[in-house]
Amino acid sequence: MAELNIGKAPPNSTILPFYATGAMVFWVLCLLLFLSADSLTTHFFNPHLLTIVHAAALGWGTMIIFGAAHQLLPVVCERDLFSPALGSLSWYSLFTGVLILAASFWNFRVGWIMISGGILVVISVIAFFINSAFTSRIFSQLSPARLFITTSAFWLGITVTIGLLLAINLSTPFFTRNHLEILKLHAHAGLAGWFLQLVTGISSKLVPMFLLAKETKDRWMYRAAWLQNAGLILFLTDGYFFGIHPDRILIYSILVAGGIACWLYFLYDAFRHRLRKRIDMQMRHTFTSFLFLLMAVVLIPVILFSGQSQWALLYGTFLFMGWITGIILGMTFKTLPFIVWNGHYKMLSGKVKVPLPKDLYQESLLIWQYRVYLIAILLLGAGILSAQAIIIRIAALLWMIVASLYGYNVLKILLHKTKIE
Amino acid sequence: MNIEFSDPFASQKAIARNALYQVIDPELFVNVIDLGMIYDLDFNTEGHITVTMTLTTPHCPMGDAIQNGVRNAMEACFPDRQTEINLTFNPPWGMDKVTEEGRKQLGAY
Repeated sequence: MAELNIGKAPPNSTILPFYATGAMVFWVLCLLLFLSADSLTTHFFNPHLLTIVHAAALGWGTMIIFGAAHQLLPVVCERDLFSPALGSLSWYSLFTGVLILAASFWNFRVGWIMISGGILVVISVIAFFINSAFTSRIFSQLSPARLFITTSAFWLGITVTIGLLLAINLSTPFFTRNHLEILKLHAHAGLAGWFLQLVTGISSKLVPMFLLAKETKDRWMYRAAWLQNAGLILFLTDGYFFGIHPDRILIYSILVAGGIACWLYFLYDAFRHRLRKRIDMQMRHTFTSFLFLLMAVVLIPVILFSGQSQWALLYGTFLFMGWITGIILGMTFKTLPFIVWNGHYKMLSGKVKVPLPKDLYQESLLIWQYRVYLIAILLLGAGILSAQAIIIRIAALLWMIVASLYGYNVLKILLHKTKIE
Repeated sequence: MNIEFSDPFASQKAIARNALYQVIDPELFVNVIDLGMIYDLDFNTEGHITVTMTLTTPHCPMGDAIQNGVRNAMEACFPDRQTEINLTFNPPWGMDKVTEEGRKQLGAY
């Protein structure tokens, strides 16, 4: 029936600030990478690299994912977003929190300013968690996507709470464990808990939808949920209480890798049984990004047993700039043009000739964005492995081109004016 | 969506179908007729048209826009009738609903 709930989109004022800010932070992040290329040739615990990583994880990755998640929650959960106001609160507090944290890390000023930045990020995450939990209502109807959205929001909460405690620990030490060991737990709660599980959950719904795949094999997604969470819980518990030991970490990594394999098999199956044979540039970006996730997983034993810090840097780079950035660079143009298009043309469709969502941005720039992204990530990887700041700096310049192409298209979409013939 | 010659509203249905060829799914770039989203057009009630239709997925983000497109196209063709959309997922949309032309446009071959 017409009143059947197909999930109404939240207002654009809740969603669009996340995209605008994310695009801006991505550009700044690439500039910082260029300015402090040296920071990628030393140990990862240095002020500039901490700034870059937090800008990438919170200001870029989490910012865009929050925007997309607030838009997609009603789609995935087939019900309206619980509270658009909480969504806006989430943006305000995340944006100010990231600004404060980035400035504090860059100058390495520990103390109440850094802590207040951390508190703002925690507030943002609590607002997101409430919104996702009440929108998904996981306990009333279980589905792989709802399960992953809820667990990822939970892990994000854990990540930022540990992060806040680490910020406090820098000025008032209270951890009985080594700060750097806890930092590794914090990083992996974020990577394997937040980013991996959110991407797993959302993609399980969107990829079959975009490809027009036949029925999907949900049982593989539940296996993925078990393995990814079991590996992460064991890693965090063992790592905190008994310290990080390479042999045991390898076992937990295999569990998580098994979870990734189940999820990728599910996507592969959807890909094989798709009606839509043509793969657009956005999906190509997404599928390429998975290669960098796999390469990062393959690097884990190398990091554990070689002890050389550049492997850890390469691992983080593949995850942040290869995988997460790759997905965002593609998926932005599968979501943002539709959000803006709906605002302008939803009521006019069928009445007058209106542009299509793909007409809201320059598709040719997307092709160039993809090509330069590939060269930039490979060159950055080469620069890190060879510890050559000059190569890293050239790669950072390419990243700035990627960020400019992306930013131009995002801005073009956001500033679109209604056009009818 | 087939139209029977014996149907008393065959000509109206043909006009409606032609209009619906202009309503495009903004994500797939294929019209709603070739996508097989339109299940039935009912002209039996005077002053009304009931369009029974579906979406490719129950949570299609473009669902509102597609339904508006159908409503607008019908109201442009039949200004004296009010359009009612009967959205159903029973039977659910599937690839068997897509026409040969739709498959071609989707690049299914």
